[in-house]
Amino acid sequence: MISYLRRQASIYGAIAASVPKRFLAFEIWFWVGLVLGAIEMMILVFFWRAVYGQTATLGGLSLDQTLTYILLAQVFAALADQDLIWEFGYNLREGLIAHMLLRPVGFQTNYYVQALASLATRMIMQLPMALLATAAFGLRWPTDLAAWGAFLVSALLGYTALFFFHWILACLTFYTTEVWGLGVLVYGLTRFFSGGLMPLAIMPVWLRTLVLAIPFAQSLAIPLNFLSGITPVAEAPATWLFQLAWVIGLGVVSQLFFRVAVRKVTVQGG
Amino acid sequence: MPAIEVENLRKVFYISKKDPGLAGAVKALFRPRFDEKVAVDGISLRVEPGEMVGYIGVNGAGKSTTIKMLTGVLVPTGGTVRVLGRDPHRDRVANARDVGVVFGQRSQMWWDLALVESLNLIAKIYEIPAARYRELLDEFAATLELNELLSVPIRNMSLGQKMRAELAATLIHEPKVVYLDEPTIGLDLIVKERIRDFIKEQNRTRGTTVILTTHDLGDIEELCQRVIIIDAGHIIFDGPISTIKDRFGKYREITFEVAAGAARLELPAGADVIAAEPRTLALRFDRTQTTASQVAAAVMSQVDVRDFSLAEPDLSAIVKQIYNGALQEEAAA
Amino acid sequence: MQRYLNLYGAFLGQQFKSYAEYRANFIIGASSTIMMQAANLLTVWVVMQQIPDFNGWGFSELLLIYGLITLSKSINHMFADNLWTVGRVYIRSGQFDRFLVRPIDPLFHLIADRFCYDGVGNFLVGVVLLGAALAGLDLAWTPLVPLYILLAVLSGGGIFIALNLITCVTSFWIMDSVPVTRAIFDNHLFAQYPLTIYPKAVTTLLTWLIPYGFASFYPASYLLGHDVGVYAWAGPVVAAVLLFAGYRFWQFGLRHYSGTGS
Repeated sequence: MISYLRRQASIYGAIAASVPKRFLAFEIWFWVGLVLGAIEMMILVFFWRAVYGQTATLGGLSLDQTLTYILLAQVFAALADQDLIWEFGYNLREGLIAHMLLRPVGFQTNYYVQALASLATRMIMQLPMALLATAAFGLRWPTDLAAWGAFLVSALLGYTALFFFHWILACLTFYTTEVWGLGVLVYGLTRFFSGGLMPLAIMPVWLRTLVLAIPFAQSLAIPLNFLSGITPVAEAPATWLFQLAWVIGLGVVSQLFFRVAVRKVTVQGG
Repeated sequence: MPAIEVENLRKVFYISKKDPGLAGAVKALFRPRFDEKVAVDGISLRVEPGEMVGYIGVNGAGKSTTIKMLTGVLVPTGGTVRVLGRDPHRDRVANARDVGVVFGQRSQMWWDLALVESLNLIAKIYEIPAARYRELLDEFAATLELNELLSVPIRNMSLGQKMRAELAATLIHEPKVVYLDEPTIGLDLIVKERIRDFIKEQNRTRGTTVILTTHDLGDIEELCQRVIIIDAGHIIFDGPISTIKDRFGKYREITFEVAAGAARLELPAGADVIAAEPRTLALRFDRTQTTASQVAAAVMSQVDVRDFSLAEPDLSAIVKQIYNGALQEEAAA
Repeated sequence: MQRYLNLYGAFLGQQFKSYAEYRANFIIGASSTIMMQAANLLTVWVVMQQIPDFNGWGFSELLLIYGLITLSKSINHMFADNLWTVGRVYIRSGQFDRFLVRPIDPLFHLIADRFCYDGVGNFLVGVVLLGAALAGLDLAWTPLVPLYILLAVLSGGGIFIALNLITCVTSFWIMDSVPVTRAIFDNHLFAQYPLTIYPKAVTTLLTWLIPYGFASFYPASYLLGHDVGVYAWAGPVVAAVLLFAGYRFWQFGLRHYSGTGS
């Protein structure tokens, strides 16, 4: 009798334990990603509220403006993400680069399409973060269609420029085995220099100059300035032109880099 | 006291069932169903100190589950296990000092460390007295020919070198009972021989009890006096290897590729036709009564043979035969 | 105890030898952690140039909090990093079974199996931050101060290790516990800043449920002369209780593992 009960208990114990197991097996990282995103969003919001405890404006921005910018930066964080370094590193390690070069599609175009697709996927996965920002932290979405337009064009240009920039960095994986270190380094730089932690307006002049001199901010801070109303829409055409210059410049340089780097692989038979 | 004593040992796993696809996953979330998988179903056995026992069975028969229970990694669902008089799970630490395990292809050494560094660390873990350790290290280095390997990291070793190193690491604390899971898989004949010799030597000089699981009949033939065959969680044979060899290793099969079949064949005593098709001819012969060359010569003198092949009796085939009740048939005959 | 200390020394010594072959990895691993911290610190530094105080806290005071949590984290990072990957690396591959047939505690074996050099980067960042904070602060120096800091860092490290231990035990059921550990671990980011800036619920969470607050905020407050009552000295107790609970939970998980062998 007792052993019967113990047996039943152990079966039901196993059953109970398996429910979270199967639930967790279903894209657990998606849910954990939301938890991590929520933690980061919360910290940033309360951090900036504390910063504004003693002052009404900072770098000409009110608390509301800064919070709007920070929350939008969290929602659109995917704009600053690129996977090229990991992709190249993986392909090199597995000896797939030569294989990829043989495919009858443009090598760079192929990756660019992939990058756009992963941006779209990430944006969709960020929807719960948008909800959280709206519901919990009172993010007021801009209603000005012109601001959205300026943002979208600028984001696309900036994302393309960033893609070329990462392409150049990814070419470095042909020369070093330290793909992981390189990836982490770039991740750390992106975190600050994309402008996701702080509006550019709050930075001292020398720092802002530095940020604008490197491409990281082009895909996040610059387009977000339109969406959050920090940069007037009237300045959009000038900004677009500037970003287009980035795209063309980096695009050309990335092609050159690749041509030189790939020679290394074809010579060494990577 | 027997080295190993197992009484009515059982192990049941519960495996959740899930229909394929998202619908299945959702359904399983609300109405989970379980399959009971009885991996080991009431086995009993006794191994005396100094015995070398081959423990065989097809994949999934319950071999490694049994070994895991014997080593204390798994707790039995039912029945008792005693290794050197101890419950291996409850007295895990004490049991661990007296047993050694080779877990198939998984090395117990540190990938990046030179072999001697790994062995030093293992000596510390098992608290082997320094003088004794030196002595054993010299002995193993000589018998396993490890001298030139001592300074090589495990990751740079070949499969055979790795297994020799693994055996040294497993036996350096002079365990009384050793479990070897596939110690010769994938190795060439020379290395196999060396490893078998080493195991034999350990058994002879130290009285080490050895439980060997393998798919290689050669290992069993060379090392074990006794074989235990497990199938679907049950022991279906436990006895001297000579029984198996006599009854199943006695017959060999020889297959001929022929131009045209003969109406009638004159064959040496002990050989029979088991299959005759237009292009192939399969014979079975009793090794104790005739030889392969006699059979082949006889056939070739009567038909036009293009090619022929001799099949070694394969262990899994024997296990299958035994499972199908061939042993009882033979015994009855 | 003595035996385990000796053994740990032996494990550590051997790893130094194998790591020597990967010196470049070591340097990059250690500096990568520095990069991660730099972004946050730069943000704090920039805003502190422009405001008189941060919710009543000065720049050096913020550095003290940040330095303490970083040091506590580095203890976990250096000594117990294997807790992250016990499921992914050890259980899934079957290597964990090896630990169970050795005559030492499997948890000890797991932890001693890897000293993580990346954590040294965190440790150095922590030391620099703490040094900068103490240099900028006007603390009344008594012999008690360094002792208190040492105690705070050790208990903070204990809290980090205990929380990772508790979450890693889930790998006995779900194979890979990294997502679970990460979801709890990331709450330490709250404790990089004074808990006073958050709503009550967050403070309660970081004090009673996921008590990273004792790794930074409470000891920093005490050192700065803020009255946090008994919380000033609660860190070691919290760490001890959590470590004990973690070890018991580990044993429970281990029993389950031995039962299923999954």
